Amino acid sequence: MATRNRTVQYKKHRDALKSVRAPLSSSASGSGGPVIEMVNASFLRSNRPSYTPLSTEEDPGPSSSGAFTIGLPPVWIDDSEEIAANIQRAKVKMAELVKAHSKALMPSFGDGKEDQRAIEGLTKEITDLLRKSEKRLQKLSSNGSSEDSNLRKNVQRSLATDLQSLSMDLRRKQSTYLRRLQQQKEGQDGVDLELNLNENRNRLEDSEFSDVGFNEHQMSKLKQSEFSTLEREREITQVVKSVNELAQIMKDLSVLVIDQGTIVDRIDYNIQNVATSVEEGFKQLQKAERTQKKGGMVMCATVLVILCFIMIVLLVLKELFL
Amino acid sequence: MVLVSAVRDYVNRMLQDISGMKVLILDSQTVSIVSVVYSQSELLQKEVFLVELIDSISKSKESMSHLKAVYFLRPTSENIQHMRRQLSNPRFGEYHLFFSNMLKDTQIHLLADSDEQEVVQQLQEFYADFIAVDPYHFTLNMPSNHHYMLPAVVDPSSLQHFCDRAVDGIGALFLALKRRPIIRYSRTSDIAKRIAQETAKLMYQQESGLFDFRRMEMSPLLLIVDRRDDPVTPLLNQWTYQAMVHELIGIQDNKVDLRSISNLPKDQQEVVLSSEQDAFFQANMYENFGDIGMNIKRMVDDFQQVAKSNQNIQTIEDMAKFVDNYPEYRKMHGNVSKHVTLVTEMSKIVEERKLMLVSETEQELACNGGQVAAFEAVTNLLNNESISDVDRLRLVMLYALRYEKESPVQLMQLFNKLASRSAKYKPGLVQFLLKQAGVDKRTSDLYGNRDLLNIARNMARGLKGVENVYTQHQPLLFQTMESITKGRLRDVDYPCVGNHFQQGRPQEVVVFIVGGTTYEESRFVALQNASNSGIRFILGGSAVLNSKRFLKDLEEAQRIARTSSSVV
Repeated sequence: MATRNRTVQYKKHRDALKSVRAPLSSSASGSGGPVIEMVNASFLRSNRPSYTPLSTEEDPGPSSSGAFTIGLPPVWIDDSEEIAANIQRAKVKMAELVKAHSKALMPSFGDGKEDQRAIEGLTKEITDLLRKSEKRLQKLSSNGSSEDSNLRKNVQRSLATDLQSLSMDLRRKQSTYLRRLQQQKEGQDGVDLELNLNENRNRLEDSEFSDVGFNEHQMSKLKQSEFSTLEREREITQVVKSVNELAQIMKDLSVLVIDQGTIVDRIDYNIQNVATSVEEGFKQLQKAERTQKKGGMVMCATVLVILCFIMIVLLVLKELFL
Repeated sequence: MVLVSAVRDYVNRMLQDISGMKVLILDSQTVSIVSVVYSQSELLQKEVFLVELIDSISKSKESMSHLKAVYFLRPTSENIQHMRRQLSNPRFGEYHLFFSNMLKDTQIHLLADSDEQEVVQQLQEFYADFIAVDPYHFTLNMPSNHHYMLPAVVDPSSLQHFCDRAVDGIGALFLALKRRPIIRYSRTSDIAKRIAQETAKLMYQQESGLFDFRRMEMSPLLLIVDRRDDPVTPLLNQWTYQAMVHELIGIQDNKVDLRSISNLPKDQQEVVLSSEQDAFFQANMYENFGDIGMNIKRMVDDFQQVAKSNQNIQTIEDMAKFVDNYPEYRKMHGNVSKHVTLVTEMSKIVEERKLMLVSETEQELACNGGQVAAFEAVTNLLNNESISDVDRLRLVMLYALRYEKESPVQLMQLFNKLASRSAKYKPGLVQFLLKQAGVDKRTSDLYGNRDLLNIARNMARGLKGVENVYTQHQPLLFQTMESITKGRLRDVDYPCVGNHFQQGRPQEVVVFIVGGTTYEESRFVALQNASNSGIRFILGGSAVLNSKRFLKDLEEAQRIARTSSSVV
């Protein structure tokens, strides 16, 4: 794949021209080279929380040859950067979550409660981060100028794609973890159940002449199974809640995300759309102007104003002659 | 993959070293070049958050200095003017300029002149100056394609412009492939000769340093042929998927515009048919209509299965699985609707225009002999009320191209009948076609009836019978490719430019058809490449033709020829 770099030639020519131009323009701008002014938009930002366009001069006038204004980026860029940072943090936490999952799945002597709590905590943090980012993302849409709104929309789309893939990833990891957990638990219960059955059979043989009520041993077994059922139910409701949350996020995001391979994923389609929507807007404006001009309101207003003038003139005349 | 990946590599390189938020600015031609190989979502991943056309961006004055501007333009004088204006009032933080072809020194000086604020960080030439519609098929999308049919005296500046664009496109292709070819052209075509000589001058004299690549044992071959050597292929009706969609509806830059069809949901009004992004299309683009129907039915059945299982949600796990698979499901749904819509629409058109009937006769005219039978068939169809004007015109043209010399009286009869039946027929169009592409003007043996070997081959094929009457036609390009594969491309018909000689068989061949290619020809190229004959073919042209476009070019050329001759 061949390319050719003409930058060197270009820069050489540009520098040659600069040295020709500089002695001529120094009288105009009063300085040797280009002057850079920093327009600090932070004051504007603190006073007005809404988006303020940069106040760079459009046509700097006679001092243009020397001065070039660089402005700071608009406010919403900070929002988008924050969302991107959140996404990064969520990714890091997901890695931790994976580790915690695998640790919890390993057979251990302890109760495993701490692991569970760690996992729950991490999952909750990640879901919170995702939800916060998503809410922020919705706020990014705006109605500024058409170019700026396009820019915002595209930034939104890219962040939405990232968020969606993250939430899908999280859910997939959760479901595998849950499945493996269930398998493990069932294994345990299976063994328990067998033991129980054997015991019961023994018990039955033994206890034909014993009490009708429950044995202590059986009571404890019953309590244990009740407890584990409650636990499992709690875990499941937890997972259901997070699945629901993530489903909600996915639904909101899927509106923003581009479907790959469709017409909206084509660059030329998006450019055309901007052009047509701007044209349409212009046509509507023209139509509105025309209807407004033709409107009866304008006629009425003009008639009233003329009448007012006539009345004033009559009044003045009356004063003069009487 | 070759062409598409070449352009993608260029775009990747443009964007990779520039960090931060970017805006990509294109002109009306480079938009097509980039859109067929790169998607919007991929641009977003590279942090390009705004794409604009260079004309519209000049209208706005808003400053966006937090963005870095990447310009990818063709090096035309208009674009240079636009650039100068924008450089003197810069709106963006940094400017990175990429041009799709070679810049003249004067153009560089003009740009440097207006860059007083020194915002330009780099200025490079990235030779992606062609539209890679398929892996082995490119086009230059030239708007006024008809100039190749007119002699140079009529409009020398437009013809020069045409040749320049062709030479630029071919040069850029070889720079992207990093090869320097041996050039051969079609003997009887003046414009092919002219383009061949100018390309040779560019590659071997003017920019010989740029084209000086490491020599492989076999230089590749560039063969420049004229559309008028094979006027039959663009006139025929097509029955393989991609070619059929282009013939009946129209594909532009891999997009199909269905807005003229009523009752379509909004997201199906314009669809994308790209072999890169659509696996079903990639598997079916060269299949004929009957097989497509079956495959689509299978796809719809699969989809219905998935949809049914999605409705059967009973446990939480099912719900979770549904939400997981939703994006896939949605994509599948969109794809299925797209293909079903296209096939439905095409079936409707085939019904309305009685294309099965018409196409049978067309294929007979193009492939087999029998003048009497052909005349009868064409007359019957001309008398048939339900055949549309354009189909009648095509039939008469095909008859005329084949039986030009055999029975002038009957030919005259057909012309008169055509003129009387078709209200909009521009008189003399068929004769104009014969003048352009008649048997005296064509280089090779289009119908295989000039020398004994070809006649024998045709008879053998006729005896063997054909698989499918509707797809029996093989374009002239197929025979050319066969000759090249066997190393038997005749020097008499296709001379070399300069004194380079071709020893043996080349391993890479680029065929450029002046006047445009068709999807039928690109299908043959793709199938040939898939057959692993050891030679890789690439096909390109000044446009992608269907019968409508070819007829339009003919009409335009005829109109200009008439006005110029009346002036002279």
